[in-house]
Amino acid sequence: MSGKKRDIVIAGYSETAIDFKSGRSAFDLGGEALAKLLAATGIPKDAIDGLSVTAPLSECPNPFFAVYMTEALGITPTWLNYGGTGGCSATGGVARAASAIRDGYCEVAVVLSADAPSTAWRANYGAYRSEFQDPPGVQGPPATFGLLMSRYNHQFGIKPEALGKIAITQREHALHNDNAYTKFKTPITMADYEKSRVIADPLRLLDCVMFCDGANAFLVTTEKKARELGITKMVYPTAYAEVTNFNGSDPLADITETGFSKIAPIVYGQSGLAPKDIRMFQPYDDFTIAVMMKFEDFGFCKRGQGSEFTLDTDLSHKGTLPLNTGGGQISAGQPGLASGGLNLAEAVRQMFGEGEGRQVPDPRNALVTGIGVIPYARNWGTSAAMILEA
Amino acid sequence: MADEKTGRPVPKPSIYVDTKPFWEGAKAGKLMLQYCKDTGRFQHYPRPVSIFTGSRNLEWREVSGKGTIYACTVIRVPGPGLEGRLPLSVATVELDEGVRILGNILNRDPNTVAIGQRVEVAWDRISDDVQYPAFDVV
Repeated sequence: MSGKKRDIVIAGYSETAIDFKSGRSAFDLGGEALAKLLAATGIPKDAIDGLSVTAPLSECPNPFFAVYMTEALGITPTWLNYGGTGGCSATGGVARAASAIRDGYCEVAVVLSADAPSTAWRANYGAYRSEFQDPPGVQGPPATFGLLMSRYNHQFGIKPEALGKIAITQREHALHNDNAYTKFKTPITMADYEKSRVIADPLRLLDCVMFCDGANAFLVTTEKKARELGITKMVYPTAYAEVTNFNGSDPLADITETGFSKIAPIVYGQSGLAPKDIRMFQPYDDFTIAVMMKFEDFGFCKRGQGSEFTLDTDLSHKGTLPLNTGGGQISAGQPGLASGGLNLAEAVRQMFGEGEGRQVPDPRNALVTGIGVIPYARNWGTSAAMILEA
Repeated sequence: MADEKTGRPVPKPSIYVDTKPFWEGAKAGKLMLQYCKDTGRFQHYPRPVSIFTGSRNLEWREVSGKGTIYACTVIRVPGPGLEGRLPLSVATVELDEGVRILGNILNRDPNTVAIGQRVEVAWDRISDDVQYPAFDVV
């Protein structure tokens, strides 16, 4: 397709293992991710002149976390970005790095996400929440997703076994992931899903992520510079789009209509790909319903047909639409707001042919998404999508 | 500053924008919401500007408190301020004035609350002198 951008590459990735209450900080985890990225790519630290850092729950009181991180890592960037869109900060960081490189602010950027909320939760969302969200008991994402699921079920119907299949498929994938949280490395069955505790009707425990600790990092540069640095494995982010506060000025908006319905056509247009061309889907998975709604928004099936599509499709790593092949966040563990990098790292790993026991055949492209922030009585705050191509 | 009887946190008003009319209305049993004078539409939760126009041409008006359940759930796991309240029925209520508000459904088995049911405002006493809007199915 004419106009497709293939000048910028993701030329490396790294991830720490996911752990619960690791006792470590976002700085320490971020340092591990950087050291692993340098080892994986073979580049010297001083080649890095751009840095994007994700705002972590565990270091929220520090508005200068990104600057502190440059000191912690000994990096002197000429472009520094601090990502505040939660689970969209990793894909968004790659996209912003690409723009910065095209504008000449830097040439070799690292997109770093590290968080340790299961060790130290220091976030305070403040704003309206104490007056208008806490009193009725809507404290966290599960209540909001229970409400969202109830509405989706009312309009379209949910087959619980479809959500169970998503949970089971991703758990099966996590068994092959050395970085997945060790306690999640046990297979689950449909009976386990159906017996799992209801958190906020109809949302069940096995529909949900659990906050853990972890980090990931990506090297973003031009294809030319990557080759000069001696790097041979790279993927091209050929499409990216995001939207925040979708339908935010309409108090009566249909909450089952998400920002992905707006950005999916954009990323397909940028890449020239259609849903049938997508080789693997690595969607942000805070809750199983979000995965199912994205099957619809990205045109793998019609709106409202998510349950049937899920049940009729082989979502395994060898299947027709491989889904969250590292287990996703639900079965690998959600590394706080480093979450979005987990789905992205798995896409890059697969395209580098490093999927080992869960390798997707012919991994020529991947569709990755992010979700950031849960607002008042709607669905989610930011939606982001990126397509990677070989 | 938890109330001794219920253990529920009592929100501190106006830490975000001026919400005094909401809280004083609640004390008097009136549901007061923010109204955009330029468009004639309500918005909730309160904002520093009209979400329709971006202007500050806002005022507070009483609404009927009547509406329909748009979405509903039952919270079944403990959390801060939820002690003694589980299972807790929560709904997104679409008020007849064309605005949605989160609220608890009182005086009813949570398992029988459903989308489409008509509701009207009821008052949930969260401390001796503070009440908060909730809803009864009618």
